[in-house]
Amino acid sequence: MTAQEVRLCGLLLREHFGEVVEKVGTHLLKGGAQNLRTIIHETGISLDLVKKSLCVLVQHGACVFRSGRKGAGSPAEYQTCCDRILRILRYPRYIYTAKTLYGDTGELIIEELLQRGHMTMSGTIKTVADRLTQNMEEGRSMDYSEVSSAFFRLVETHFLQRCPPLAGAEPKDSSTPAAPAPPGTPAAPVSTAPPTPESFPDCYKVPHVTLVGRGKRQLASEDGEDQRNAKKAKMDSQTHGDEGICWQVNFERFHLHFRDQAIISAVANKLDQTSSEIVRTMLRMSEVTTSPTATCTKPLSANEIFRSLPTSYNIPRPILDQYLTLLIDDPMEFVGKAGESGGGMYVVNMHRALANLARATLESVVQERFGSRSARIFRLLLRKRHLEQKQVEDFAMIPAKEAKDMLYTLLSQNLVQLQEIPKTPDYAPSRTFYLYTVNQLPTARMLLQNCYKTVANLVERRLFESKESKRLLEKSQRIEAILASLQASGAEPEQLTEVEEMITAPEKQQLDALRLHINKLDSAENQVDETIFLLESYINSTASTS
Amino acid sequence: MAGRGGGRGRRMMTFSVEAVGINRGDSLPPSIQQPTPLFPVMEQKPLPLTVGEEEEYLLALKQEFRGAMKSLPCFIQPAAAHRDVERYSDKYHSTEQTDALTDWTPDWKRLPKELRVKKPSRGGVSAAVSRSDKLQSGQKKKKVKEKEEVLLKLETLQKKEEGQSSEDEEEEGEEKKKKQEEEEAEGEEEYDEEEFEEETDYVMSYFDNGEEFGGDSDDNMDEAIY
Repeated sequence: MTAQEVRLCGLLLREHFGEVVEKVGTHLLKGGAQNLRTIIHETGISLDLVKKSLCVLVQHGACVFRSGRKGAGSPAEYQTCCDRILRILRYPRYIYTAKTLYGDTGELIIEELLQRGHMTMSGTIKTVADRLTQNMEEGRSMDYSEVSSAFFRLVETHFLQRCPPLAGAEPKDSSTPAAPAPPGTPAAPVSTAPPTPESFPDCYKVPHVTLVGRGKRQLASEDGEDQRNAKKAKMDSQTHGDEGICWQVNFERFHLHFRDQAIISAVANKLDQTSSEIVRTMLRMSEVTTSPTATCTKPLSANEIFRSLPTSYNIPRPILDQYLTLLIDDPMEFVGKAGESGGGMYVVNMHRALANLARATLESVVQERFGSRSARIFRLLLRKRHLEQKQVEDFAMIPAKEAKDMLYTLLSQNLVQLQEIPKTPDYAPSRTFYLYTVNQLPTARMLLQNCYKTVANLVERRLFESKESKRLLEKSQRIEAILASLQASGAEPEQLTEVEEMITAPEKQQLDALRLHINKLDSAENQVDETIFLLESYINSTASTS
Repeated sequence: MAGRGGGRGRRMMTFSVEAVGINRGDSLPPSIQQPTPLFPVMEQKPLPLTVGEEEEYLLALKQEFRGAMKSLPCFIQPAAAHRDVERYSDKYHSTEQTDALTDWTPDWKRLPKELRVKKPSRGGVSAAVSRSDKLQSGQKKKKVKEKEEVLLKLETLQKKEEGQSSEDEEEEGEEKKKKQEEEEAEGEEEYDEEEFEEETDYVMSYFDNGEEFGGDSDDNMDEAIY
């Protein structure tokens, strides 16, 4: 956990869960595994609030607990990991993907699960049905079965998974596991790494749930009545046969989907639409047969690809072969040839594609910050690995003075490193070669930390801007509420304009400017997160292979 | 030893200057005497953000998500909310916020036992737990009794105000009202916050702090008890 990651996690926790959870969360991030008493003592927050915060963190998967290291009977220890909290940045993208793939129902299911951390299937379906019914016209309501079928589809394609049961975490709980058939590890010693949800065989098994009904529309009534209705709905808690089985969003699956999308759009940008369709078909065919950490997909024969191509594209067989040859010869190396049988066996090289995408990101960063000539030097060093000062000037075709200047700027920013190769055992300067070089992986890590710092700065600036104009925002909210209530009770237009004029023109301008700034900052966070995703995927893929 | 011979002059550096490219007679850039400025001037302006339907939708999703999280029970606020000026309405406002969706019971089987919060605290995490917990029924009865006392007081005050023309009717009405209030009290037990122990004379939902436009709720004050 670097300082930048901890800072960003703190800000995200503050925005989504409040300041108390932020304090507890950052304390856990900085301090490693701790038990309850230590946390209370060191943060100085009251016992109740710390307990609640820990509940919230565990509910959302940000914190894991296990029995203490000092043997059975010692208090439970809590540990937080940065990764899960940093995913919060990507939530809008997950929800939008669910919408494109599974429509509004899928979108709401994912949104509910992200808001609550994890929920039972029946709870999710009921809440989503109610929300959908709210937005439908009067008299129509959403049937539970439609929402159930959307849920099934999400589980089938592994976008949702069961929360792992707590085998071994609490010794007293081992007799009542939530899933029907516990995996064979209850007697095993507590392993150091928490078990992944996928290590349990029932991860994607949908329980049999008896859920019949339709969504309930919340009547627009007095607030008191509304809450009483809501409470009555919760009082009649029927058991639906799936108590204790909680579902959570499977982020890894979404990440695979994003990775595939990135590869397809890169091919579309570099070559053309048809080649991207071919790559999309290949990726779709290997969705289930390829493991998430595989270097490349399983080999697919050209005949199979031809059969699975969408018919709307009408690509004849010889054209397909030509496209495949083009894809293989492309320097980006997205597609490779693995054999000659079946008309040619082709694979999509995942790791190489990610490495190339990361490299393109690094090059574009250098280009935008230092200019296209510095970018040329950077690309040169990436390609040729080690070059002397003189060689850089010659190959890049840039005058010596300027090349020197640019190299030193890149060196001072740590994008380029200096490698010394001595001719003699004492590193005498006159008898040593000094070579410039670029290492892609460390540079990618450094840029990733820069991205985290960027997002943290954006969040802080946004909070600062809202705090500065807090009074103005509150005033505008109050006036909107007044307007809404007046309109609901049918007031005349003069009254409405009178209320609207309570906000003066310069204030309105200020409000508009504020809104514009906040939208820009939010949008920027979303877009930096796309870069973060690329760099993270690249770093994880190289870390797993090396 | 190797470097001493060549470094008689003032320009001595640990590496050979020719190799790195600074020839004799070239002027070095001026040395920097202070920390770099906080916001250095950028030679290259950054690219503008991509705008499009997808980006706008993502933006809307993000802002809605943030707003929704603020109203969920997961959002824990410390008890003291600071306002710039203390207002009379603060006493009555704080309950409204804690009521809304605070009956969230986490699945206690998935959490270690030490995190279980038994007593009904102000945050109300266990408000739902207390509903089903039989130990709390004793407390419930106490609170209902307190409420009845308060309501009795109210009745007597009302009697004094309105005169005692129809005593019998009022007594019957009183009993009916008591029963209604008992039912209301049970339904309203979720509102059992400390506010009610403070002997408020006014029912929650009829309170108007005068900040709303069209303050015609004053008329309802006398008929607030139903």
